[in-house]
Amino acid sequence: MVKGLLQVFQKIQYSLLAGSIALVIFSFIVLFPNLRLLIQILSNQTFSFGAKMQFVFSLFGSIQTNFTFISATYTILIAVLFGMNIAMFAYYIRRQRAVVGKSNSALGVGGLVSGIFGIGCASCGTFILTWALGFFGATGLIAFLPLGGEEFGILGVILLLYSVVTIAKKISSPQVCVI
Amino acid sequence: MDSNKQNLAVPIAIVIAGIIIASAFYFSNSSGSNNVAKQDLEDNQQAQQAEQPTGSTDDVNPVTEDDHIKGNINAAVKIVEYSDFECPFCQRFHGTMNQIVDEYDGDQVAWVYRQFPLEQLHPVKAMAEAVASECAAELGGNDAFWQFADRMFELTETNNRTDIETVIPQIVNEIGLDNDAFQECFASGRYDDDIQEDIENAVVTGGRGTPWSVVIGPDGTTYPLNGAQPYASVKQLIDLVLSNK
Repeated sequence: MVKGLLQVFQKIQYSLLAGSIALVIFSFIVLFPNLRLLIQILSNQTFSFGAKMQFVFSLFGSIQTNFTFISATYTILIAVLFGMNIAMFAYYIRRQRAVVGKSNSALGVGGLVSGIFGIGCASCGTFILTWALGFFGATGLIAFLPLGGEEFGILGVILLLYSVVTIAKKISSPQVCVI
Repeated sequence: MDSNKQNLAVPIAIVIAGIIIASAFYFSNSSGSNNVAKQDLEDNQQAQQAEQPTGSTDDVNPVTEDDHIKGNINAAVKIVEYSDFECPFCQRFHGTMNQIVDEYDGDQVAWVYRQFPLEQLHPVKAMAEAVASECAAELGGNDAFWQFADRMFELTETNNRTDIETVIPQIVNEIGLDNDAFQECFASGRYDDDIQEDIENAVVTGGRGTPWSVVIGPDGTTYPLNGAQPYASVKQLIDLVLSNK
């Protein structure tokens, strides 16, 4: 497995791809609760560009104040693991001119979706999960989940981790024609 | 053909994930959205809910002398916070806001506290603590309210774990309120409507959880601030808003 990971991430372009995707996912999760405010501030012509950027960067500090320790941990892990997943998918497909099995695709994406449902910032609870359950009139269910919906984030990490390990094993396995 | 389908699985699933997020964002900002606090309103005030505006921070109720205010009511920037004593993020943000009002002159920044107890997440206790804080204000004025709120956030174990039978009387004694008068006020239910009005206003302005804040600038422009943002962000926002005179 380690061999597979090294094979991919020793190539700078795949490390950059993974890092970029991780950064995008992380930024999205952290900044999303204040999207309306960000749009308002960034579109205001009277504020200087520097002040706007300072404000945007300051919001990244909310990973400490607006997340529980568990949710901050799995948020970072989900971003990193999803970035790794995509980079490894890309490497595997390009190298072998082959496709990663449906199960791997489903694991990776399932992990991200589950993680998204576990986003627990900005309120006492998981705001997307709250919305989704509310859609079915079942917001009260969150109160019955032992970790208040953070279970979804943890599940996301497990799925993504499993996906990374599986792809890494496939990458490091010899390319042979099985009879 | 089959492999093409498999190749498409990842991008399609990512698009689906994106749609879920976008939908969540869209619905969370629409007047018909579902929300823990709003669910309670739906049970009790269906008729009024039909008239709710579209979630604009401009719909924030004006700050009046009846509000709980730290700082000058005519301060250049007013931060109206909708909060829940059982919410751990509100506990953190309370400390941040105390730091902010210490840093800025009362004429520059005023902090307004409004009630947003999330009954579905913190049944009974959040509402009881909100009522108790209103009774503290009734019996001891604005200062007593803030003493109660500061102490409540120090003692609360959050997430509905606070022993309110012990903690509330303890604070009442500590800040020197008349215990009998407090008990009468607490049992009277006379602040239920006021608290409900705060909850409604939080939802109407776009609050979907706590802490939810509306920052009102010197020119009356309003800005939404969602969650327990760090001190640096709140300070940056205040400085930006102050510069926008």
